[in-house]
Amino acid sequence: MRSIIKKTLICAGLMAAAISTSSQAGKTLDAVLEDKMLVVGTNSDYRPNAFLGDRNELEGFDIDVSREVAKRLGVDVKFVTPGWEVMTAGRWQGRWHMVVGSMTPTTKRAEVLDFPATYYFIPAGVAVHKNSSAKSIADLNGKVFGVVSTSTYHRYLEHNLKIDAVGTPPFEYQIKPQEIRLYGDINEFDDLSLGEGVRLDAVIQSVSVINQAVSKGLPVKMLGDPVFYEPLAIAIDKGDAEFGEKVHAIIEDMKSDGTLVGLSRKWHGVDYVTVK
Amino acid sequence: MTTMKVEHRDRPPGAAEAQQIAIQLVGVNKWFDDYHVLKDIDLSVYQGERIVICGPSGSGKSTLIRCINRLEEHQRGSIFVEGTELTSGLDNIHKVRSEVGMCFQHFNLFPHLTILENCTLAPMSVRSLSKQDAEQMAMRYLEKVKIPDQANKYPAQLSGGQQQRVAIARSLCMEPRIMLFDEPTSALDPEMIKEVLDTMVELADEGMTMLCVTHEMGFARRVADRVIFMDEGQIIEENAPAEFFDNPQNSRTRLFLSQVLGH
Amino acid sequence: MKTSIFTTSFQRGKPRLKAALVFGAIAFVIAFAAAVNTGIVGELLRPAMSEAVLVGLWGRFAVALVVGILCFGGCYGLLGLPHRVQSWSVWAGLALSALLLFYSFDLSYEFIERKLPFLLTQGAFTTIYVSAISIVLAFTFAMLGATAKLSGIAILEGVGAFYTSYFRGVPLLVQLFLIYLGLPQIGLVIDPVPAAIAALSLVYGAYMTEIFRSGIQSIPRGQWEAADALGLQRMVTFKKVILPQAMRVIVPPTGNQFISMLKDSSLVSVVGVWDIMFIARTQGRADFKILEMLITASIIYWLLSVVLEMVQHRIEAHYSKSVAR
Ligand SMILES: Nc1ncnc2c1ncn2[C@@H]1O[C@H](COP(=O)(O)OP(=O)(O)OP(=O)(O)O)[C@@H](O)[C@H]1O
Ligand SMILES: [Mg+2]
Repeated sequence: MRSIIKKTLICAGLMAAAISTSSQAGKTLDAVLEDKMLVVGTNSDYRPNAFLGDRNELEGFDIDVSREVAKRLGVDVKFVTPGWEVMTAGRWQGRWHMVVGSMTPTTKRAEVLDFPATYYFIPAGVAVHKNSSAKSIADLNGKVFGVVSTSTYHRYLEHNLKIDAVGTPPFEYQIKPQEIRLYGDINEFDDLSLGEGVRLDAVIQSVSVINQAVSKGLPVKMLGDPVFYEPLAIAIDKGDAEFGEKVHAIIEDMKSDGTLVGLSRKWHGVDYVTVK
Repeated sequence: MTTMKVEHRDRPPGAAEAQQIAIQLVGVNKWFDDYHVLKDIDLSVYQGERIVICGPSGSGKSTLIRCINRLEEHQRGSIFVEGTELTSGLDNIHKVRSEVGMCFQHFNLFPHLTILENCTLAPMSVRSLSKQDAEQMAMRYLEKVKIPDQANKYPAQLSGGQQQRVAIARSLCMEPRIMLFDEPTSALDPEMIKEVLDTMVELADEGMTMLCVTHEMGFARRVADRVIFMDEGQIIEENAPAEFFDNPQNSRTRLFLSQVLGH
Repeated sequence: MKTSIFTTSFQRGKPRLKAALVFGAIAFVIAFAAAVNTGIVGELLRPAMSEAVLVGLWGRFAVALVVGILCFGGCYGLLGLPHRVQSWSVWAGLALSALLLFYSFDLSYEFIERKLPFLLTQGAFTTIYVSAISIVLAFTFAMLGATAKLSGIAILEGVGAFYTSYFRGVPLLVQLFLIYLGLPQIGLVIDPVPAAIAALSLVYGAYMTEIFRSGIQSIPRGQWEAADALGLQRMVTFKKVILPQAMRVIVPPTGNQFISMLKDSSLVSVVGVWDIMFIARTQGRADFKILEMLITASIIYWLLSVVLEMVQHRIEAHYSKSVAR
């Protein structure tokens, strides 16, 4: 009996060793150039960055940025939508080469992913019901907030937001919520639309999503100024510095020749690329 | 087929010395876990012989005849059927089963098949008869048991007596040389018992070797060459029916007969 | 013989009146308890009553009474119809009310209309083919699993026992993630759709193994013995004697599993398979119209499962023809 257990353990150990050594070092760029295809992981429900448009194809800011990066690499582009948890978990095994999904390079995520290039900054704002009694953000202390689970807005409300991308503007925690409700599949704006305090008093989201909600006719409005600016970066799997440098160089080019600003104006209506 | 000639001390009275043996059990023992069901059974059945086995409930009658076509496995001793010894070898088992037909107390017809399909399944699959030949033969035996007109019905649409006759016909379609019956009439209403017994009598008259567990003493008297009485896994007494019923030797036999015949 | 719980079907005479009264009384009690006088039903009685009376206790009683009487009348009328017409019209009536309830949500039909084609051509198409392949595979796994478990060969029995224990014991979602994220760790990178199909068919195959096994074991020993006595090979016995009978026991719960699988296939949207649920969620969330999409999705799923239900009835009828006298 003993010896069986021992053998099993040895087998398991060998398998684990085999697995850990099989990580790909510097292969992504080769794969992209060889197949002439850049596979980009992104979102499918995130207006105006990546969403299914009326032609039932993905469109938006992230999509256009990806296309431009692929063009400058001299390859075609293909999109996949593996889901947020899967993308942020890392270890993509070459299923896709990069994520252009408006991802914030938090310290936690940097443990499993590399963030070679920050491509824009987005302000996070507070949205309330349009009949809300709150006059300023300070009035919302001790209220119920809704945010997307594990998002930077969630971390912000927990006073636990750590971003270490270069050039991130400093911010301070202005709100002490009474309760944080977390959202995933259901849209927090649907609950906010039910009325002030019915389920939620306020929502924290990116200003561009708030603007989208307002323009789609939801009974919500933005309150006060943005509470913080978060950098959004292209993510790649750990281990291919060469690919990272290449992506970094392309994004820097797109910044300096004005392409990125143009795309931001097209999709967000304003310039979110240049740091204020 | 090799048939064997066996010297046997317990040869039934009147049987010729040279008669051929169809079934022979030598020192057969069987256990269900540690329960000893069959104890040192010795029995020879001659070709064309008709044997009735009786005895109290739980005495091992069913187990005994189920050992003969290997529905149960014996642990000690040997069983020969038409010269083939029953061992764990699959070939032997198949050979024996193709020689031996069996009818059960609860008929065990296949309820999802019509009467005709019940009868043709085994001939087509085991003996590789064509569908046409199998159906022709099935109709012949269904006529023999007097229910050819029910051929396309399902078993549930027939009476108990009719179902048991179908079961007999189904066995006959494999053209066995030996038929085993395990209380074929004890699940039937009295008015149906006769039709089944009549069929069995007819079979007996044609010379079929038969082993029949039954408590129908009238049938035993009329048809059996030999009656065997079992109790607690042993053969207690065996004799020609007239002797057996009129002059039982063992006290346990007398007690049993008084209970069966007494009411 | 009719095997139903009540001896009469309450279609005429006194039983009919009584049954209608019971239904009416139940409707009255529910209407009273739910205070429907303050809702849409109350609005209908507005012409007969003043606002003040309507909201009071008397108004509540009166409105509930009207509801009760309406229900009594409706039921009395319905009960007079032939059995089949009756059950079908009630089915249709309830379906209509469900749709009316959705209709009252104030949804954007223009949005649904715009998104529906894609929901069908991409979403429903994916759901159907993922489910169809999974159903076939699950059936195969279940057949193999049950055969292994009943084979009498200890090694196979061990394999079967582990299979059902593991795949029934771990949630489908976890299984899906393990296959999608775990297999690549040993160098087997598979796409979302095959991962989804693998998870669905393995898990449902495990459930169905148990259904098959118990169905096969529900066939009395006597059937095996009769076949043995006739000299049939065990595999022939299994195929021609045991399985056809077991199917009668197996089909209804298997149909259930398939309907359940069809719906559980919505879980695959988490690994980015563009099925009904994925499209509905994506479109709904991006345009802040999640309710529209969810209701549309629910109706599509429902219609699909109705089709499966009908198929199940067909198969059930086929395997029970020998017991129908
Ligand atoms: N599969 C089995 N496992 C364990 N015990 C069994 C099994 N089959 C039979 N027995 C036991 O063996 C004994 C003999 O059974 P058997 O069926 O041969 O008796 P029987 O003489 O045919 O009785 P009956 O007249 O009731 O049919 C009984 O005590 C019974 O309980
Ligand atoms: Mg018995």
